[in-house]
Amino acid sequence: MLHIRCPHCGMRSQNEFAYGGDASVKRPELNKEISDLEWDNFVYLRKSLRGKHLELWQHISGCRQWFKVQRDTSTHEIFKTIKANEDI
Amino acid sequence: MSQNFRLKNIGLINRDKKISFKFNGKSYFGYEGDTLASALLANGVHLIGRSFKYHRPRGFFGSGVDEPYAIVQLFRNGESVANIKTTEQELFEDLEATSVNCWPNVNFDIGAINNFLKIFLPAGFYYKTFMWPKSFWHKVYEPFIRKAAGFGVASIKHDQERYEHRYEYCDLLITGSGPSGLASAYAAAKNGARVILAEDKPRFGGTLLTSEVNIGNQTGKEWAENITAELKKMPNVIVKNRSQVFGYYDHNMLVMSERISDHLSKTKKYSPKERLWYIRAKEVVISSGSIERPLVFGNNDTPGVMLSSAAKEYLKVYGVLVGKKPLIFTNNDSGYETAIEFKKNGVEPIILDTRKNPKSEIIDEAKNLNINIKFSYVVVAAKGYKKVKSAEIAKISEDKKELGVVENINCDCICVSGFWTPTIHLASQSGNKTIFNKDIDAFVSGQAKQEETTIGAANGTFTLEETLKDSFNTGYELSKKITSNDNKTPTPAVVEKKSTKHDKFWCVPLPKGKNYKRFLDFQNDVAVSDIEIALKEGYRSIEHVKRYTTLGMATDQGKTSNLNGLQLVSNIENKIVPEVGHTTFRPPYTPVTIGAIVGREVGKHSKPTRKSPIHSWHENNNAVFVDAGAWLRPRYYKQGNETLFEASKREAKNVRKNVGVCDVTTLGKIDIKGPDAAELLNRVYTNAWLKLPVGKARYGVMLREDGIVMDDGTTTRISETHYHMTTTTAQAANILSHLEYYLQIVWPELNVNVVSTTEQWAGAAIAGPKSRNLLQKLFPKIDVSKEGLPFMGYIEGELYGIRARIFRISFSGELAYEVNVESDNGNYMWEKIIETGKEFEIQPYGTEALSTLRIEMGHVAGSELDGRTIPYDNSLEGMLSKKKDFIGKRSLNRKAYVAEDRQKVVGVIPLDKKTSIPEGSHLVKDAKAKLPNPKLGYISASCWSVEYDNPFSLAIIKDGKNMIGQKLFAMSPLKNKTIPVEIVSSHYVDPKGERVRS
Amino acid sequence: MQKYSIFNLIKNAFSNHQNWDLAWKDPTPKKEYDVVIIGGGGHGLATAYYLAKEHNITNVAIIEKGWIGGGNAGRNTTIIRSNYMYDDNALFSEFGMDLWRKMSQDLNYNVMFSPRGIINLAHSDAQINIFTRRGNSMRLNGIDAVLLSREEVKEIIPMADFSDNVRFPIFGGLMQPSAGTARHDAVVWGYARQADSMGVDIIQNCEVTGFDVSGGKINGVRTSRGDIKVKKIGLCVAGSTNILAEKLNMTIPVETHLLQACVSEPVKPVLDRVVTFGAGHFYISQSDKGEMVMGGDLDGYNSYAQRGNLPTLQHVLTEGIAMMPFLSKLKMLRTWGGIMDMSMDGSPIIDKTHIEGLYLNCGWCYGGFKATPASGWTFAHTIAQDRVHKLNAGYSLNRFNTGHLLDEKGLGTKTWIS
Repeated sequence: MLHIRCPHCGMRSQNEFAYGGDASVKRPELNKEISDLEWDNFVYLRKSLRGKHLELWQHISGCRQWFKVQRDTSTHEIFKTIKANEDI
Repeated sequence: MSQNFRLKNIGLINRDKKISFKFNGKSYFGYEGDTLASALLANGVHLIGRSFKYHRPRGFFGSGVDEPYAIVQLFRNGESVANIKTTEQELFEDLEATSVNCWPNVNFDIGAINNFLKIFLPAGFYYKTFMWPKSFWHKVYEPFIRKAAGFGVASIKHDQERYEHRYEYCDLLITGSGPSGLASAYAAAKNGARVILAEDKPRFGGTLLTSEVNIGNQTGKEWAENITAELKKMPNVIVKNRSQVFGYYDHNMLVMSERISDHLSKTKKYSPKERLWYIRAKEVVISSGSIERPLVFGNNDTPGVMLSSAAKEYLKVYGVLVGKKPLIFTNNDSGYETAIEFKKNGVEPIILDTRKNPKSEIIDEAKNLNINIKFSYVVVAAKGYKKVKSAEIAKISEDKKELGVVENINCDCICVSGFWTPTIHLASQSGNKTIFNKDIDAFVSGQAKQEETTIGAANGTFTLEETLKDSFNTGYELSKKITSNDNKTPTPAVVEKKSTKHDKFWCVPLPKGKNYKRFLDFQNDVAVSDIEIALKEGYRSIEHVKRYTTLGMATDQGKTSNLNGLQLVSNIENKIVPEVGHTTFRPPYTPVTIGAIVGREVGKHSKPTRKSPIHSWHENNNAVFVDAGAWLRPRYYKQGNETLFEASKREAKNVRKNVGVCDVTTLGKIDIKGPDAAELLNRVYTNAWLKLPVGKARYGVMLREDGIVMDDGTTTRISETHYHMTTTTAQAANILSHLEYYLQIVWPELNVNVVSTTEQWAGAAIAGPKSRNLLQKLFPKIDVSKEGLPFMGYIEGELYGIRARIFRISFSGELAYEVNVESDNGNYMWEKIIETGKEFEIQPYGTEALSTLRIEMGHVAGSELDGRTIPYDNSLEGMLSKKKDFIGKRSLNRKAYVAEDRQKVVGVIPLDKKTSIPEGSHLVKDAKAKLPNPKLGYISASCWSVEYDNPFSLAIIKDGKNMIGQKLFAMSPLKNKTIPVEIVSSHYVDPKGERVRS
Repeated sequence: MQKYSIFNLIKNAFSNHQNWDLAWKDPTPKKEYDVVIIGGGGHGLATAYYLAKEHNITNVAIIEKGWIGGGNAGRNTTIIRSNYMYDDNALFSEFGMDLWRKMSQDLNYNVMFSPRGIINLAHSDAQINIFTRRGNSMRLNGIDAVLLSREEVKEIIPMADFSDNVRFPIFGGLMQPSAGTARHDAVVWGYARQADSMGVDIIQNCEVTGFDVSGGKINGVRTSRGDIKVKKIGLCVAGSTNILAEKLNMTIPVETHLLQACVSEPVKPVLDRVVTFGAGHFYISQSDKGEMVMGGDLDGYNSYAQRGNLPTLQHVLTEGIAMMPFLSKLKMLRTWGGIMDMSMDGSPIIDKTHIEGLYLNCGWCYGGFKATPASGWTFAHTIAQDRVHKLNAGYSLNRFNTGHLLDEKGLGTKTWIS
């Protein structure tokens, strides 16, 4: 079971959190004119590589905040957890 | 039966307490503190079972978790349990066990015919045959093979036992209580660390219980007992026996199974059978010791052949002689220690040492005791079928390739020692690479990937002096790091006999003209010849060898076989062992009871059950419940002998005619507050929200970004900056997360807060033409007239003294209201509604009537909004704002979504107006077309229209907008039904929606 | 090639089995091939086999980073079925079922295909209706399916929980009698042996380090054992798709996740069907060795670890006991993990790509093993003819642009929620 540091609440066990996938996905701005391809890429393409992965988690059984975790996808080592509005 | 092989004055068993037990129907005695294995051995029983493939006789090989084959069926407290290792099962009064994998019995086993056919059954034989005729594999060959496989019998009776979980945090978790575990635990505990010491066996001390050493001025055993006693008294230490740490998971989470009751004839009241510990440790000390390695020779699976360390343990711990004419076959000094113990207890052993001229203190002691030692000698083969009767031995050349003249020697057991294999499973599970240590010819843990340290024999340190030094130091250093304390415990002086190097030799060559099976994996019957065949056929990766031969895949997971297998592969392939590599170590280290992993979440508690505050009223009024996610909802209220169909029809009719009330507490409810709340709604819903006035509700549809409908519901503007959102029961949790995601990640600039209020409000939907009359009575102080509370209006009121929210919304298509009160008042509200509604002939209605009402109105719900449909499919395209952007809008222009013949929801009526169309039927043009028959659409929901008194269904069908009026067939081959149908509009009742607005 | 048969087995017994041929050779890579298949799993080996057998293309190499069958081919729960709702999935899988039925004879290698039937348990009327939709769709596609009542289920699998102490009672089930299991390693070895005998080079311990692409065309592949010139490359590396795609500057609508499975200690035959739980994610069958083979949910976060965590297994086994309480008394013997290509709609991709000569086979989610023969067959066709077959036309890459998605479960792009 992973041990994740919620940037708001501290160290908690994985079962308090929900996963949210690739944190680098950026939703296009509303009303912005973009190509079909750009849109489809936003909907369907994600980073999913071996090694360092920046991803979203939500402290669902805690403060309910979404935040970012930098984790190694092959060892599960967590390098850093930061608030949603922070960058690595 | 007398215990002929029990010694008088040695052992740690309690001779004051005799225990009777049965094996294969025969009664025996043992003592408290025995294992089933030691008790049987004390009685001279060596034949325990039969092997997997050849059904060869099997006895005892080890004395603990490493045991490959002494497995029985155990009967305990009315339960029959499969695959119990006799070497781990402690004896309890009236224990009963039987042999497995043999028929009719272990002495005479028909399956043993395989032993004579063995030349036809080499590794992988089944891949090469049983292919003709084609249908025979599944029908003839496979059932036969299946019957032959497996060990014990699984009773399908439900488990009556209870299992518990416990979560624990500690500074140091120490896995094993041998010298290294005790020393490191003691040093750390003395330095103030919170320590958990776990020992798999009932007794603490590990090898100290059987070795002749002194620590300080005590014997090893005394020292272990004293340290253990001291640790048990310390408040910062948890000491657990019968507890196996079996898994090392991420972020230093380890899992331990504690066998609380397996040694008792029955589980004590209020006590679980087993307890699973989830332990998050700051540091882990792996002190799991080592397992003796077997030597490989002809018929080395014969009962009576066993590890020399096991023989020593049976002798010193249980006072049991595994034989009276022991032959010790060793490539190192450990065999001598066992021989010396035999000798001291009045039994004459013979030692065969593969080495030519080794010299050490231990060997000197054996010589001084006049033990018969034959150097450069090997066992060629064990003789005897169900028990070792003699052995063929021979001198071996220095290059270990040539055997001398084969001699026969009398013996009743052969104790083998092929040196020691560190138990690195936990270290490897932690993620560490392994390193091959040439000095000990075994793998040890590489650099630690998590916070762990491997010490003692587990790390390949085989002298006590060094082990204690390392262990005391490790305990001290780790605890210092965590606690910052600095109390160092001095390492005591050690007296032990020095040993010399082992021989790099494990597998005895076959004598000319003999074709003995030399076993590596005893349980799966994998012999040297099997490995040879695998390699010969090109299965060369160690994983291929394992999978082709099944080496190391038995219940002992290759604890005694893997390294010998590797060694053999490396010899044949002419590679060094580390190049061959080993298969991966994965949890669990030893098999774990599935019930223990699951814990208390069984039966009705396997998942939580959510109940509305009105639940007991429903129960008292004959509600029949249905699962809706985790919730239980009344499906219908049974009157007399009514069926579901009759009851739901009655309830629905009453809504159309009078008034009904439905518990809608389970709907998801989200409070949305903040200056930007309207803007949020405007972005997440497909329709416009900015101009919704206070005191008004609006229906909304949400999409996922891929354009698929996610959920629908109404949201009400309670005040300028406060909205009350409802979601479907199923999606409640997802929608909350969805909103939070957009608010926190995508649009953090929006000043809005959301919180779930599902549990805060109880809800009752009041529907039917008389609902306004009822509402007026319930809320005499408010104006609920058409003008005072119009469709989609909202007002607050007081219901018999309690605060209530009233929404004029409708799911049934009738004039309807929803009343919410705080959950605690839910039942009160309900009772008042029922009581007050009597004069209007109110009836409660369940989800089935609810369904009927929505289907005949053509309202889409879960069966249409199934995560695969877009708004158009559900005729919700009118809900899509053209003026503004919203989540998922950009996806709606995809080719498939705008196709001319895109699917759409329609109504379906059977032509005979009688035959109900089963949900899940498909619509086809030609009922007799050849398969595959093109499907135009499917029936998503069916009901008996109470308005028209005939069946009516909703369907999602290709080119739906042009299908109205078409005659098709609804086919349900599963139910053998083909029903001629007509496609009609989905809005079957009140298509203009006049009633809801009345 | 030596024929495998009972007669040959007996014959070889008398020479102590010393005269068996290599099942496949261990060649060094040549400088040039007509086709290189990357990935020596079931799909890659089957592709090479059908390239040789159906299209007469034999100058083919299979490049495998480790040992053949070491990925998901050797880590699955061996279930074979075609109980799909959507036509594209159903017809593709049913084509595969035919290949399965003939496989042992076709490959002259006993892959132990055992049509023991699969039962999907339903725990509410609503679920029965959902299964009815799928079952009827199967029947109209010519696939066998039977709807079982609670009583019928009880007769077939009495060990399921029919007591009152149950959270989600069994209402019935959908059964595909012709579904079943096969011996996964044997499938790998059987395809390898035949492909090898027809001239395919199976090259193990050979890692792809890069690609030679110019002018939008494939010219070769760089490996740890040298560069290879080739005009057509088939990428068949479920679990590593994203890693290789990165070397091609491609992003594929696939996420990489871990799925765990476990087996119990072997016991005498008690369960002779494959059964899935309807109130969660749990499936079980009993192997010919007697082990209960069990699987369920993803670990729930992107992973390349091939090792899982206990909470997922605990969750899976909780559902196991909820379905069959007797499992509680058995012991969990072995656990392992497989790295899955989770595609964005739960269905695979077998297609050409924007790079000429590069063909893609990925995104198998949980369903790769059963698809082995059909995937190999259609992929071989796609590579040999440079166009998709109608059987894999639905598995196109651009369905994520056109909206022709094949989302059997309706879960969308959150691949980790199963």
